[in-house]
Amino acid sequence: MASDQFYQVPKPRPMYRGLDSVMHGWIGAYQRRSAIGRQLLQDAEAVDALAPRFEVMNDHELRAALLEFRSVFLRRPKHDAELEALAAVREAAFRTVGLKAFVVQLAGALALNRGHLVEMATGEGKTLTAGLAAVLIGWTRKPFHVMTVNDYLVARDASWLEPFYEFCRIRVGKVVGGASEEERREAHRCDVTYTTSRELLADLLRDQMKNRDSATRSRRILKQMTQSRMQGNQRGVLRGIHMAVVDEADSILIDEAVTPLIISSPRPNESLKKAIYHADALVRQLSERDHYTVQSTYKEIYFTEAGRQKIESLSHDWPGIWKSEARREELVRQALVGRVFFLKGKQYIVQDGKVVIVDEFTGRPMPQRSWRQGLHQAIEVKEGLKPSDPSETVARMSFQRFFRCFTKLSGMTGTARESARELWRIYQLPVVCLPSNKPCIRRQHQRVITTDEASKWHAVMEEIKAVHHQGRPILIGTRNVHVSEKIGEMLDEAGLRYQILNATRLSEEAMIVARAGEKGRITVATNMAGRGTDIKLDPDVSALGGLHVIATEPHETGRVDRQLFGRCGRQGDPGTARMFASMEDEIIVRALKGSEKSYPMTALSSLLPRPWMVNFAQWISERRAYKQRLAVLRADRWLEESLSFSGQS
Amino acid sequence: MADNQQTFSESWHRVANQRIYLRSSVRVRRQYYRGERWYVLENPVSNQYFRLRPQAYEFIARLRPDKTVEQVWEESLETNPDEAPGQDAVIRLLAQLYQVGLLHYENPEDSAELFRRFQQRRQREIRSKFLNLMFIRFPLLDPDRFLKRMLPIVGPLISPFGFLIWLLTVGGALKVVLDYFPALKDESQALLAPGNLVWLYAGLVILKTLHEFGHAFFCRKFGGEVHVMGVMLMIFTPIPYVDATSSWGFSSRWKRALVGLAGMIVEVFVAALATFVWANTGAGLVHNLAYNMMFIASVSTLLFNLNPLLRFDGYYILCDLLNYPNLHQHSAGQLKHVVKRHAYGVATSKSPTDKKSEKTILVTFGILSHIYRIIVFTGILLFVADRFLLIGVVMAVICLFSWIVAPLGKWIYYLFTSPELDRVRSRAVGVTLGFVGVLLIFLQLVPLPHHFRASGVVAAENWAELVSQTEGTLMEVLVEPGAQVTAGTPLLRLSNPELSLEMRRAEARLSEVKMQLLQAMSFDGVDVKPLLFQRQSIEERILVLKQRQEDLIMKSPIDGIWVAPEVEQVIGRWLVRGSSLGRVIHPGGFEFISPVLQDDVDRLFANEIGSSEVRLFGMAEAGIEVTSMDIIPVEKRQLPSRALGWSGGGDIPVTQEDEQGATTAEPFFEVRSKLGSSGDAHLLHGRSGKIRFDLKAEPLLPRWIRRLRQLLQRRYQL
Repeated sequence: MASDQFYQVPKPRPMYRGLDSVMHGWIGAYQRRSAIGRQLLQDAEAVDALAPRFEVMNDHELRAALLEFRSVFLRRPKHDAELEALAAVREAAFRTVGLKAFVVQLAGALALNRGHLVEMATGEGKTLTAGLAAVLIGWTRKPFHVMTVNDYLVARDASWLEPFYEFCRIRVGKVVGGASEEERREAHRCDVTYTTSRELLADLLRDQMKNRDSATRSRRILKQMTQSRMQGNQRGVLRGIHMAVVDEADSILIDEAVTPLIISSPRPNESLKKAIYHADALVRQLSERDHYTVQSTYKEIYFTEAGRQKIESLSHDWPGIWKSEARREELVRQALVGRVFFLKGKQYIVQDGKVVIVDEFTGRPMPQRSWRQGLHQAIEVKEGLKPSDPSETVARMSFQRFFRCFTKLSGMTGTARESARELWRIYQLPVVCLPSNKPCIRRQHQRVITTDEASKWHAVMEEIKAVHHQGRPILIGTRNVHVSEKIGEMLDEAGLRYQILNATRLSEEAMIVARAGEKGRITVATNMAGRGTDIKLDPDVSALGGLHVIATEPHETGRVDRQLFGRCGRQGDPGTARMFASMEDEIIVRALKGSEKSYPMTALSSLLPRPWMVNFAQWISERRAYKQRLAVLRADRWLEESLSFSGQS
Repeated sequence: MADNQQTFSESWHRVANQRIYLRSSVRVRRQYYRGERWYVLENPVSNQYFRLRPQAYEFIARLRPDKTVEQVWEESLETNPDEAPGQDAVIRLLAQLYQVGLLHYENPEDSAELFRRFQQRRQREIRSKFLNLMFIRFPLLDPDRFLKRMLPIVGPLISPFGFLIWLLTVGGALKVVLDYFPALKDESQALLAPGNLVWLYAGLVILKTLHEFGHAFFCRKFGGEVHVMGVMLMIFTPIPYVDATSSWGFSSRWKRALVGLAGMIVEVFVAALATFVWANTGAGLVHNLAYNMMFIASVSTLLFNLNPLLRFDGYYILCDLLNYPNLHQHSAGQLKHVVKRHAYGVATSKSPTDKKSEKTILVTFGILSHIYRIIVFTGILLFVADRFLLIGVVMAVICLFSWIVAPLGKWIYYLFTSPELDRVRSRAVGVTLGFVGVLLIFLQLVPLPHHFRASGVVAAENWAELVSQTEGTLMEVLVEPGAQVTAGTPLLRLSNPELSLEMRRAEARLSEVKMQLLQAMSFDGVDVKPLLFQRQSIEERILVLKQRQEDLIMKSPIDGIWVAPEVEQVIGRWLVRGSSLGRVIHPGGFEFISPVLQDDVDRLFANEIGSSEVRLFGMAEAGIEVTSMDIIPVEKRQLPSRALGWSGGGDIPVTQEDEQGATTAEPFFEVRSKLGSSGDAHLLHGRSGKIRFDLKAEPLLPRWIRRLRQLLQRRYQL
């Protein structure tokens, strides 16, 4: 099919400014009104009422009915058809994967089909919900992707639902890291494609790069027409991007959306390597205070006058680039940044003679990542390694922009309402909150807030011992791997057995998390670990009071805290949760004391009761992150508008 | 885009393999500003300009169709590693040039983007039109061809020879003006009379049209194109304008300045011609028109056009002469920089200039122009509000928003959110709050002494008007005016022969009545009663007449000095009863009577008055102390002396109806202050002067608020 090889990336949704954005905000508030949720539930009840019609059919009849709906949807999905079709699809799901979707899930599926961001409590069966909606959308045969957070979930969800999709006459494909181009092309050609946002964006960028040399539209079309005869690797792999359902939408659309995806290729640059050796040699002769000062909050380095002179005198005889003061200081500063702020074992590890970046939150090594041009090499040289060829960016797009390009976007998550305004402002995605199927009986204990960290850990250990004594399983959420390790040591001291999530394999991670509900288990995990996996409780554990979740530190946003607490008390299970915080926790220090000691609000806030301070700190860091995201978006848009002549991303 | 010093950019790939270069139609000129070299790129299609530093231009000039941006960049790095722009700088530069439409690129695809930008620009223009409500422009026609055709005729005048003619004409006119100065001054009073407004406007339109053609012809003469001519609504008054911005591309700053001056050159020349016409015609239409043109050409030229503080011709001329374009923006930038750098401690803040002398110029200009603008606009606002209350209110709201609320909001937003301030935010917030706080405390709490002045007249505390009690001819002045007299001293003698005749008639009538009475009594007393009444009335009449005869000798009512400056002229004249002939003034104490208008009297009632002193006109150096003061709590409308009213040369508005000029337009209160020792000053009854009331110290803010409210109340009855 030559036709599906030519596609144009839609223009991103507009961003509004000034009064327009105020107006747009009002529209968003209207779009999020509670009546939407009620309407969805009402419609879902209607779908539920339609169930007997399809229950009585045999498989053959049901298949025929589904085929009928498929042809309707291919032409134009109508509202009436939507409800009936959903009822049929639900029946199909029941027959293939054995789960009968609840009314809430039906409402969720409708919301996804109608372009909402659905907030559903964790453990309500989002995978199935997405599956139901995916059938409705997939029938339209437009490019459609279901995106989730990692390759493991992609594979798990796609294969779990495969019989269901097959029953509904939907071809399903999946794209995971390491897939070959042909596999990718095949998968993207399916009606529903499971993938991660990274893979999809990477495919898109690579496709665009292939088209780069055909600058004008007419040239591009000419090329497309002749393409079927071309080499396979000259063709794009995507059919286009049109519709998407995003799982864990808040973390994909918000938390992880700032970092752009960069496709780079190594490119030898001898002069840069030489300059980096020089810089490294020079930096060894500088000392803090005398020659430079370090600003740790902003990760910046300032040279003193003496430092400037020293740099100049040392680099006097060196060639080219060292002649210019600005370039020279940039190089030295970079080398210093690599030396001061990037620490072996924390930000990176050395593996097989290579510097491998470690994800600060998950503790996972990320071999495919590299730091920006020059910095990576500077760190390599610092470690005494041979500098690699600097990689050169060949294509780049931020996730924010990427998601704004979809014609129809919808998503699911357990926690979205805190960010409803941002999601509307940036993605024009209205959030709708659906109730849980069974009432949640999780008990949220009073927060424990101590003045210093030591007493916090003491309190945490006391709590662990007490709950463990009852035989209840405990899940301890941490901000990053370092804290996890620290807790591990303390548990060792206390003589308790525990599981710590530092696995490098996602499937293993999921297994550990899935077993965290067994009696007497203690599981230590970063909050990101094992997302999308249910923690199922042993029957006797339920009687004891269910899983107990301990948050050892408040996160930058309340959303992430809520995600963690959501791990217990799923689907009406019993469960308890408690947050521990101390005045020395990173976010409080960063938010209240971080930038400056004399910040007027700091003085003010120290008068506040401690719980307020925690909330305040969280509010500040949330706000900061939001501003930063907006700034990235704005810079992104500026580039886009001002460089639109370059006709690429 | 945070730091343009970066050598490498993450977005470099966007431009690296592009083949971009300047459009072939782009014209490049080299210019010197303040001794620095710049390159001005001109897009002749859209009439847009872009100024580049030599380093940047060097890079841009290297761009060629057969090389990619990357290749060009590497080339420039090799040849000039020190000056070559970093990747970020290149991207920004290309982006800017692209937005001005100067670049040729190979992707003609994104017309949607182009269209979007066009719409954005249009929106901006419309918005700025509304924000500039007082200077809306409506472009109408393209005068370029007309100018070109006329140039052979007009052009030769733009030359040293033309200047000579101009000089002679203007010189001659100046002489005429000096010769006829008194007449000139007289007529100026009728300038704003309603009947003259039409002529004033007619003169204005003729002059400004010529003025604009002046710009246009000069610009055309020096090679600039003039494509837009239209009408500008300046404070709702339609006035022609031309767009001579193409002169900005001239490389000689003198030519640029000359184009700026052209309007005024023409105007002054026309004014000179008008002066001759005015001097040689009698009152009439031509005379009037000529006069108005003279007036507009001189006043508007000096106040508006030549004044660099507003953004009219003078501003652009100043820019050219200082060789400093965008003086306005840069001075605002410099002011901001001063605050950021020195008050907030933003180390990265950059001044728009590096030279110390320029910094001073910028700061001075910035402050002056702001103050001047506020004054001028407030004046305009009040003027408009007087005429059209609704428009005035709308304008005031717009002005309030765009000058106070919006900048304030922006400033606050900047203070709390700008990443620039991240490291010094506490200082910035502290300094700002501190400053505002101190200012408010000062304004609200620190009492400052204040005073106000009122004009008034000196009056003797004890004096009496000598008024004729009866009519008569003044025969004789018995005591020379100026002499000390005691009460009862005869001062004037009147004579009234009619009075003595009447006296005699009354006496005759009395004796007649007496006779009749006797006669009646001899008969039986029938009709006696009426006669008795008659007799009584005649007797009373005689008494009155006697009194009036006595009154013919006018006597001093009190002890004092007999003052009658005009009495000599009245001798021999018939005076009606009640004529004032002079005064007797007791020299003991003097009062200063000052009418105080309503707005101010409140302050007198509310405040304790500290000391006050009186200074008389002509003796301003000697203050006369006031010992005590009474405010007469009754509204009055009659001035104690007509010298205080407008018609008498004073400063209190009087009504037109009263020909005496002593009835005020609005009621006032009288303040009587007893004067103490006069020192050297010679106190004379009726002498006018000013009294200064020193009020109790009061903070400024409440005072200002009260003033504003009074202003609104008085002008708009709000």
